[in-house]
Amino acid sequence: MIRKKFNIWPYLLIAPALLIVTFVVFLPVIEAIFMSFQQYDLRRPDQIAYIGFMNFAEMFSDPVFWQALKNTVIWVVFGVGLQFVFGFLLALLLNQQFKGRGVVRAVSLIPWATPGVLIGLMWKWIYDGSYGVLNDLLMKLGLIDQPIIFLSQTSTAFGSVIVTIIWQGIPFFAIMILAGLQAISTEMYEAADIDGATRLQKLWRITIPSLKNVIFITILLRVIWVANSVDIIHNMTGGGPSYSTQTLSVYIFNKATVLDLGYSSSMALFLMLMLAIVAIPYLRNSFKER
Amino acid sequence: MVKQKSLLQKTLLLYLPLVAIMLFLLFPFYWTFITSIKPESELYGSVVTYWPENITFTAYQKLFGEFNFLLPMFNSFSVATITTIVTLTVSTLAAYAFTRFEFLGKKIFMGLFLTNNMFPNVLLLIPLFAIMRSLNLLYTPISLVIAYATFTIPFSVWMLTGYLKDLPSSLEEAAMIDGANRAKAFVKVILPVLMPSIIATGVYIFIQSWNEYTFAVLFTNEETRTIPVTLKNLIGQLGVQWDLLTAGGIITIIPVCIIFFFAQRKLIEGMTAGSVKG
Amino acid sequence: MKKITSLLVLFILSMVLMACTASINSSEGTTTDEDNSNESDSDGEVTLNYWYWADNSEYSQLMQDIITEFNETNDKGITVVGEEYPWDGGGYSDTLFTAAMGGGGPDVAAFKLTATPLFTANNLLVNLDQFINDWEDKDDIEENLYDVMRDASGTDSIYVMPWNTQILYVYYRPSIFEEAGIEVPTTYEEFLKAVEKTTMDTDGDGTTDIYGFGMRGATGGHEPWGSFIYARGGNFEDLSSEEAKQGMQDFVDLYSGGFVPPTATTDGFNEIIANFKSGRTAMTIHHTGSAAEMIETFGEDVSAFPFPGGEGQWTSMGDTNNVIFESTEHKEAAFEWVSYLATGKGQEDWNVATGNVPVSKTVQELDFFQDDDFMRVSIESMPYAGIVPIKDTTTEWINVAWPNTISSALLGDQSVEEAMDSLQKALNEK
Repeated sequence: MIRKKFNIWPYLLIAPALLIVTFVVFLPVIEAIFMSFQQYDLRRPDQIAYIGFMNFAEMFSDPVFWQALKNTVIWVVFGVGLQFVFGFLLALLLNQQFKGRGVVRAVSLIPWATPGVLIGLMWKWIYDGSYGVLNDLLMKLGLIDQPIIFLSQTSTAFGSVIVTIIWQGIPFFAIMILAGLQAISTEMYEAADIDGATRLQKLWRITIPSLKNVIFITILLRVIWVANSVDIIHNMTGGGPSYSTQTLSVYIFNKATVLDLGYSSSMALFLMLMLAIVAIPYLRNSFKER
Repeated sequence: MVKQKSLLQKTLLLYLPLVAIMLFLLFPFYWTFITSIKPESELYGSVVTYWPENITFTAYQKLFGEFNFLLPMFNSFSVATITTIVTLTVSTLAAYAFTRFEFLGKKIFMGLFLTNNMFPNVLLLIPLFAIMRSLNLLYTPISLVIAYATFTIPFSVWMLTGYLKDLPSSLEEAAMIDGANRAKAFVKVILPVLMPSIIATGVYIFIQSWNEYTFAVLFTNEETRTIPVTLKNLIGQLGVQWDLLTAGGIITIIPVCIIFFFAQRKLIEGMTAGSVKG
Repeated sequence: MKKITSLLVLFILSMVLMACTASINSSEGTTTDEDNSNESDSDGEVTLNYWYWADNSEYSQLMQDIITEFNETNDKGITVVGEEYPWDGGGYSDTLFTAAMGGGGPDVAAFKLTATPLFTANNLLVNLDQFINDWEDKDDIEENLYDVMRDASGTDSIYVMPWNTQILYVYYRPSIFEEAGIEVPTTYEEFLKAVEKTTMDTDGDGTTDIYGFGMRGATGGHEPWGSFIYARGGNFEDLSSEEAKQGMQDFVDLYSGGFVPPTATTDGFNEIIANFKSGRTAMTIHHTGSAAEMIETFGEDVSAFPFPGGEGQWTSMGDTNNVIFESTEHKEAAFEWVSYLATGKGQEDWNVATGNVPVSKTVQELDFFQDDDFMRVSIESMPYAGIVPIKDTTTEWINVAWPNTISSALLGDQSVEEAMDSLQKALNEK
């Protein structure tokens, strides 16, 4: 690490990335932040006016908002958590030697490569209460004798969509972690073998510490991504039945598509603050290291 | 360490969990494929069939015959490829700066990149459309490349920063002591070891731009349509054209897998390169 | 070094490529944007950009054919360029709005009436009053249809050009009716009875195999639901009235009584049609758009009746229309095109092929429409067909408030009273 006087190089190196990013989204984001303090409903363009924190006040007294917030927490914790666990496991498995590894690696990417349009529809179709293959399988196995209406009742709908997002996200973690695994030198494992370390010890002492930053960052990025994701829920349930699968991002989406941009911007701002609160300690830690 | 493993051990620790996870990951794909070759009468039959009684490939014929599905495939492919190259280049440079230099405003810049992806893009559509229009980029692939790069760059910068942090900096310091300058050390030492991570990030960028819908529907017209928009055209008010939709899905997924099949070999190459140097 | 060089080369190449396409496009861009208008002033050549969605791939081809024919036959030098956009569960209107607000968008577009207040509030649509007054075919369209268009805009003007409608009626399976020993219901009470009677356990295993009615609880279900509300004497203007609540109670009772599939809370168009076609339901409500596939599936064993009346009678009239954008340079040419679709050859071609109800009286008279059973039921239902009041709250009410409130009432999370009060609030107050 170099700590000299002023150095132009780092600025030059980040300039292209920064330029593209700020050039496109800087103004729209600023605009949206301003909108969150306005009554900005394009259905009533003649009533657009600054209203201070009124949107936020309305938000905090909106029961649908609170339910959406609660759903978002569950969605992110279980969605990302289990994606990570299974993705990590899959990465370890795919890193071992076995016949046909290349093919298995390639096909494990499938859920992630599936167009969002199709994911929602296919899973909806699998879960279907009348013709769904999942119910058929469970009944053939004798686990149930009446079809479960997975997406049509509040008790099972949210769990079902969470399984879908887990399915979609496993390959992401698997590939990202698999890449990280390649940078760990084999010498460390060989040394551990000589010391007679068990498999689990090697995992805890070598693998995980060497991947610390990658794990932190993949989880952080995935949390942001999942918290903002709309298409799976939108295509499977649209947030229903009875708002039971409506997360904050879906609520924002629903409000934004009916052009109540002021209200949805304030919710988006709130979501952004929540994510920032999660992210900041993360950032602190990762910068302290070195 | 591999040799000592007995078959039983390998079955318990490798094959069993692998098969379980792969079953979960691949079953919906299998089901998509089955749906694409089922006649519609079987789709809503009272008995669920796990292999169609009458196989039909008409959906695939239709897609390439009447539909000219190759055009959106070509469009998606070029947009995704260009986005991947642009994003990887600028992000690797930025990530290198973030991990190997200490400079004023570093945290602010990194934070800026992160918050960029926190804001739902459905709120940015109208101004973005206006920007693209005023730049005369509307309905060109470039508008999509720019829009996608905007959202993949922050992610890639962060990803690559994570990988670079996990690389011991002793690697290049050794090379620099040997007289190599910074650029040379980066190319000779860092890049080979980083290759697997660059590929993984590249896969992310490629898939993201290959499958994106919201911007694609706004910034393309008939000539520049990408796959997700074409697929969505198959869902009207009068229901889903399951055969065409699932066949289109299968055709969309396969190229990505083939590309990754070749790319993943690099994952191993990177490893050997790294261990030689390290 | 090789790798970095090749990467750099690739990067530069792509940049050059980007620059090239951008410059090519910018020249193209000016042709479509401005050159047209200049041309049109001089020699009458006009290019119109038309956006539409297609409910399936045949309709997509059909529209292209109609456009080609129009381009070849019109004598005013008008060329329509059709661009298909995904319906996307109604997202079509959002795409259209975003583009129009962003300063782009088409000259003419296919349009749903529910979006009218949003577009007129932002001054995006051309007022058609003058055009229609001067139009020779003005009287070929029923006056009450113009009234519907006026109501939707919330003004005394017409901004939306009629194109075709869809009238909801009840599909039923004569064979199942026979098995249950019932006749086609002529009153609302009989209809409810029929639903109960046709719910059957055909194989005697204790589970229901045929449900009497395919209920739609997902988005779009407010249309058939409205018939229940009106049959008890309620209406959309006051959803918290006793009558409206009674209609809702009937709806909920059908679900809790097990006379409709348990998935009804989230069943949308796909599911109700699939359930009917697979024989899982004896009746369902839809329009002529699905008549062709019903006949294909059942042949003679499918028929239809108008939703019967009780205290009141109502059925939903769906609509597909066209609008002209204020931003267009060619309003006259655009009106030529929308009127071709409303009363010209385009009207006939489109409705014959799609089975939608024509808006042109002349086309309605054609044998094709007079001889068709389902079309006859549609036309029979017309006198009491209506639309949900179109306010600026309507879209949100249809897409979000209605499905969620209904599903919670069906599942028993909310009482009928609470549900109706909140639906009333979401639609009519604010």
